[in-house]
Amino acid sequence: MSIVTVQLGQCGNQIGFEVFDALFRDSHCPQGLCSKRENEAYQASCKERFFSEEENGVPIARAVLVDMEPKVINQTLSKAAQSGRWKYGQHSCFCQKQGSGNNWAYGYSVHGPRHEESIMNLIRKEVEKCDSLSGFFIIMSMAGGTGSGLGAFVTQNLQDQYSHSLKMNQIIWPYGTGEIIVQNYNSILTLSHLYRSSDALLVHENDAVHKICAKLMNIKQISFSDINQVLAHQLGSVFQPTYSAEGSFHYRRNPLGDLMENLVPHPEFKMLGVRNIPQMSENSLAYSTFTWAGLLKHLRQMLISNAKMEEGIDWQVRPPVSRLPTLGKMSLNKELHFNTSIANLLILRGKDVHSADLGGFKDPALYTSWLEPVNAFNVWKTQRSFNKYEKSAALVTNSQFLVKPLDKIVGKAWNMFASKAYVHQYTKFGIEEEDFLDSFTLLEQVVSSYCNL
Amino acid sequence: MGRRRRRVDRAAAAGALPAAIAALSRTLPGGPSPETFRRAKFDRPEAAPALWRLLFCVLSPVPADGAAASPAPVAQARLVKSELRSQGYPRGSLARLPEDGSQGSRELLLALSWLLARGPLLEQLLAQTRVRLGDEMPVCECEALASPGPPAPHVEADGCVDVRHLQWLMGKLRFRWRNLIASQQEQCALLGKIHSYTRGCHSDHSLGHLSVAEAELLRDPEGGRQVRAGGARDLGPWGSDQAVVFGLQLLQRLESENARLEAALEWRRRELVFWQWMDTVLGACPPDASQPTFLPRIPARGASELELVAQELQALQEELRKAAEPRRAAWEARVGGWGPEWKAAQRACEEAVRQELAALQRSWEHGGGLAQPHGPHRLVRSEAGMLGGPGLPAAEVITVLRSRKACLEVALRQLQGQCRQELARLAGALPGFIWIPPPGR
Repeated sequence: MSIVTVQLGQCGNQIGFEVFDALFRDSHCPQGLCSKRENEAYQASCKERFFSEEENGVPIARAVLVDMEPKVINQTLSKAAQSGRWKYGQHSCFCQKQGSGNNWAYGYSVHGPRHEESIMNLIRKEVEKCDSLSGFFIIMSMAGGTGSGLGAFVTQNLQDQYSHSLKMNQIIWPYGTGEIIVQNYNSILTLSHLYRSSDALLVHENDAVHKICAKLMNIKQISFSDINQVLAHQLGSVFQPTYSAEGSFHYRRNPLGDLMENLVPHPEFKMLGVRNIPQMSENSLAYSTFTWAGLLKHLRQMLISNAKMEEGIDWQVRPPVSRLPTLGKMSLNKELHFNTSIANLLILRGKDVHSADLGGFKDPALYTSWLEPVNAFNVWKTQRSFNKYEKSAALVTNSQFLVKPLDKIVGKAWNMFASKAYVHQYTKFGIEEEDFLDSFTLLEQVVSSYCNL
Repeated sequence: MGRRRRRVDRAAAAGALPAAIAALSRTLPGGPSPETFRRAKFDRPEAAPALWRLLFCVLSPVPADGAAASPAPVAQARLVKSELRSQGYPRGSLARLPEDGSQGSRELLLALSWLLARGPLLEQLLAQTRVRLGDEMPVCECEALASPGPPAPHVEADGCVDVRHLQWLMGKLRFRWRNLIASQQEQCALLGKIHSYTRGCHSDHSLGHLSVAEAELLRDPEGGRQVRAGGARDLGPWGSDQAVVFGLQLLQRLESENARLEAALEWRRRELVFWQWMDTVLGACPPDASQPTFLPRIPARGASELELVAQELQALQEELRKAAEPRRAAWEARVGGWGPEWKAAQRACEEAVRQELAALQRSWEHGGGLAQPHGPHRLVRSEAGMLGGPGLPAAEVITVLRSRKACLEVALRQLQGQCRQELARLAGALPGFIWIPPPGR
């Protein structure tokens, strides 16, 4: 089953390119550590999901590129075509000549309706090329102008026109010390709108990925390209093919559907994060060996202590001894050291994957009281290694990991709103103060729900 | 001359009976061995269980597939007895057999031949278990509604339920529905591709194209044999061991169906000698002594007996009326004491029931009533504009399904309205509470 990707804004388009590139390179990697036949099946599965076929055999990414200025899209198109191995469709992009000045309201209320028909037409053409549609990826930033406002509008349209299809928004969480003054307004408006119209929000934090580049990959001058490649690696390790069931050697038909069913069935809990291990530069890779026990132990502690990467994990954090259901809202002043999970999905790729011991993740103490580990924890496996890592593990988690960052953003946005700073820029384009208040209410509710686990 | 011929005839006849019984045994599903038939003539107890099983298999309304566990002997025996009775089986001795399945092989043998003689039993059984090669699609819900479904999940009586867990489960169900719709769409798209690619390949011109099973069989007919031969398996270009297993199963089923059909043909040639033998079995029985009390026997001169029956019925009716009157009066008294709003509620109830019945009537008439298609049908893709031919056009089926869907949607909206009213009533009943509904979808 196929996934159609909508790349929005500068952020979305740059990341989208890296994602398709990573998926393609991995599926054509000769060192898969498995038989030739299995490699072919893996390749075919990945190709069907993310690429369509053209007459001369060059795979075309199943993607629609949208931006309000032409520069980034042109760069993206030419980078893809240059590689010669895959490319974007000739008529899959939509761009205008003007930006949106980082104004969410402009993106949502002006650009959106004005260009709605063209954009939805492009998406429909892409959908018609699929034999069967599993769902949509929408890659966008949360805090910018084009990506965020337009992204919210497009997602709402997808909800109306493709109500049966699944939608996952890949959201880029801005740097804490971002340069855009109104980024917090943009963020809360985006999040609240997406919470209503999307099925799952997979959040990638810029700060976290930046640290991975600095500490683990040892990159001195970190560019956006480096960050995006790490991000693409994380996404690829989640969505590349895995076996459909324990003991089966057939690849899963609908990973997006299975993921959503396992992680986000509850309408109040839609925030997902990805952690993966190991993550290192290609040079170091050659000198490292791993065991599943070591990898899983680190990954588990990363989950519990809310660490973003495998270095600097706080090993003091332990699951609480008794799991009593918490009544009433827990004050956020109390440090949330332990990261309670609602549900987790573990994806293992590589050698001896069937021998990995998963007991640590099935501990009921990790999870909230109203969901048993047998329902809350799922694992996907494949022998085929990913991106030259002999063994790698990725964890998609629905847990409290975003509560503090979210609360911070809401707090900052509220302080600005209380003094009505910059609000006129939004009301000018039809976003009323009531919309702001609705957003605050919804996000406060989300924070509260996550705290009460 | 005559004597020799008679001896030859008798010898031929002596061989003909075992052959006939053997053919019958091969035709019946899970047929009892010919030895069982012979033992049954002499009412041997060891022949009874096999015959109970056979009759159960033949008479049970839901075609029992191999996967379903067969019920206990008592349940089997009960079903056999009740089915035979409802079909009008005359012998009372069978009804009096113990239900543990340990006795009565001769009676069961008589019942089996009664069924065989009455109607096209073998043909019906063969049709039920026919191997279906087409891409089948159900056009009604009968089979789904008739099957027992999964066992209800265990719910603990005590212990409070966290509503978040319920919401989680509801959401999971919704996602599964969406995933199911997506994979059904995928299946349809792929079926469409296979049907259009294989156009012109089928020997049966009314079908025109191959189904998935037929295409698979043509692609790799030897797949099954190779697996049985053991050794290294060549999985073929699709690299799928499932395709091999599928081919093997299909081949086996076709072969066994062929064998049964041949046995049925042989039975038809030889059955006369079987019926002559059954006469001797019937002769070996003790006479069916007592009157069957459960079957009304309409005698030749019926007037006086009928009058008796009519009088008995009247007396019973009188008794019932006398018993029911005081009860009804007491109920009315209780109910009447609740005042006018109860009467109003009662009227509203009656009105609702009347509307539902009317709606049911309408939907029955709209749905075409008896003309409604049933059962699984084979999907056949035809050229645009080509009409006629046997079977249902897809457009017709779609219309019927759409009208059913509309009825169900009306019912859903009614139920949702009732839920909303109930919620509003609950919300109003607790002053001082503010109800915050969840964020709308």
